[in-house]
Amino acid sequence: MAQPSTYETDGAGPVIEAKGLGVKFAVNRRRKRSLREMFIHGTKRDPNAEGNDFWPLRDVSFEIAKGDCVGIVGKNGTGKSTLLKMIAGVLLPDEGDVSVHGKVAPLLELRAGFNDNLTGRENVYLVGSLHGMTEKQLDERFEEIIDFAEIKPKFVDTPVRHYSSGMKVRLGFALISQLEHPIMLVDEVLAVGDKAFKLKCYAAIDRMLANERTMVLVSHSEKDLRRFCNRGLYIRNGSLALDTDIDSALTAYNEDTKAEIEERKKRDEAKKKRAEKKSEGEKKPEGGGKKSEGGEKPDRKKPDPPDGGQ
Amino acid sequence: MHAAVRRIAFRTKRTQPLEVAVASRALAVWEHRKVVGLLVRRDLKVKYQQSVLGYAWTMLEPLALTMVYFFVFGVILQAERGMPEEAMAQGGFLLFLVAGILPWNSFGAMLSEAPRAMITHGKLITTMKVPREIFPMATVGTKFVEYLLTLPVLLVFVVVLGGSFSVMGLLVWLPAAVLLQFAFGLGMTLFLSSVNVMFRDVERMVRIITRLLFYGSAILYPATMVLQAGIPEWLKVVYQLNPLLGIFEMHRAVWFADFAELTPTAIALWSSVVGSFLMLVIGYWTFRRLEMSVLKEL
Repeated sequence: MAQPSTYETDGAGPVIEAKGLGVKFAVNRRRKRSLREMFIHGTKRDPNAEGNDFWPLRDVSFEIAKGDCVGIVGKNGTGKSTLLKMIAGVLLPDEGDVSVHGKVAPLLELRAGFNDNLTGRENVYLVGSLHGMTEKQLDERFEEIIDFAEIKPKFVDTPVRHYSSGMKVRLGFALISQLEHPIMLVDEVLAVGDKAFKLKCYAAIDRMLANERTMVLVSHSEKDLRRFCNRGLYIRNGSLALDTDIDSALTAYNEDTKAEIEERKKRDEAKKKRAEKKSEGEKKPEGGGKKSEGGEKPDRKKPDPPDGGQ
Repeated sequence: MHAAVRRIAFRTKRTQPLEVAVASRALAVWEHRKVVGLLVRRDLKVKYQQSVLGYAWTMLEPLALTMVYFFVFGVILQAERGMPEEAMAQGGFLLFLVAGILPWNSFGAMLSEAPRAMITHGKLITTMKVPREIFPMATVGTKFVEYLLTLPVLLVFVVVLGGSFSVMGLLVWLPAAVLLQFAFGLGMTLFLSSVNVMFRDVERMVRIITRLLFYGSAILYPATMVLQAGIPEWLKVVYQLNPLLGIFEMHRAVWFADFAELTPTAIALWSSVVGSFLMLVIGYWTFRRLEMSVLKEL
């Protein structure tokens, strides 16, 4: 609302709309709450709500228009996957709202739903139907799926537990690329299979994106992100830091990463220096006593400038 | 009044009243009934595919148990003295045992699988957007089909032992028993599956409780033996408050409908009806209450 979005298509309105999204995980909740409290107050009134909560995401708002391909970038553990899960509706936000218009294909886990004891054929039918494909659709596309996954005919009726992990992922991708849901949520799954299979995957995704379908992609692969996305959300410390095109988002992310690496380097150097000083101090016992405490447990905050270096 | 309305609105988060929220949720479950069917079919397939004897195993186990119980309780401990004389001609103690053990077997299996109903589907639950009730429902559905599969065996016993078919038994006791058993079972499964995600101890507890319920629900002896025993009256009432007692007496009343001793007493009847309904409500309420936390834990 604050800034006019250039990504809105005319009239149709956003496909995914998130308002003030926040989710919290309670740290140590299990040990500190009694059964009674759990039942009487549910999830709302946590006795130690203050201080023990951890918000992986908070106050995240954005809109995604039809046909967008949005890449979500950010460090590990900043809530990218959590965000995706909330869009998929498999995790409920503690704050705010997310509304999705249209069916969602959650490609969060390629092998989800595969049962090791069932054969490849049975699994394709099972998982396909779980994702809403009809039997007729599956009959029509079965050959195509098996062909795409490069599963040899003699393995089609073998239990999946005998498949190699590569075969399982390939089958998963082949099946899921047949889904026709208008919204796709992808969590790092582009990086499956060997080089040749990856190329096939890229082509399949290009094809999937062709007819005005919306995709949200979480990935650490800059190449993938730049290739597919036209828009980037940069998540930093649990909140939305940037909502721009993918290049700017990646640039900002890279700059932050660089700064962080610099900082860590500095910290390491300071640590090394302190250690050196400590060992020097041990040689000269009169100076050893006062520094030993600092040397054992280095400050985790910004290192102080090496004051007594010379 | 005003306060009550606000309370409800607060509870359901959105401004819709509670009944609407439950109704729309029920509708969503109905729309996904196909998924329940798929999961049930998958479970049955996996179960029967892995063993050579398949279906036969599910029958052999309860039958072997029945023989043991018949020997121990019937022949050695003579629990059949609790049966009325005339009932002996209609199948006797053996039919009495079979008619109780077969439905118990599917109920006990349901209880033992209930705590894991959500955990085993963790991957699916965190990737597929379906109403989460589906997964406990699928577990109950599988057990229901397995129960139906035991009916032919029961019929064989009825025919061989000379049991009698009665209108009252087939049209009143049988549907009532099945309906109440699975309503109670669904409530239990909803409750156990969600609570077990937060506290894994539940699984262990259930094993002990199942044992207790087995002996407490008069599967192996006629309930009249307890009711006529020299124990305090209040203890007898407590005994009859177990909803499962009435339910399993109903299962047997199907074949012994004419004998007052073998049909549930008024207290047992009402506690099974009210208890099943209550269990369903408590189970569903707990499930919805814990849903957010469960999704985070999985």
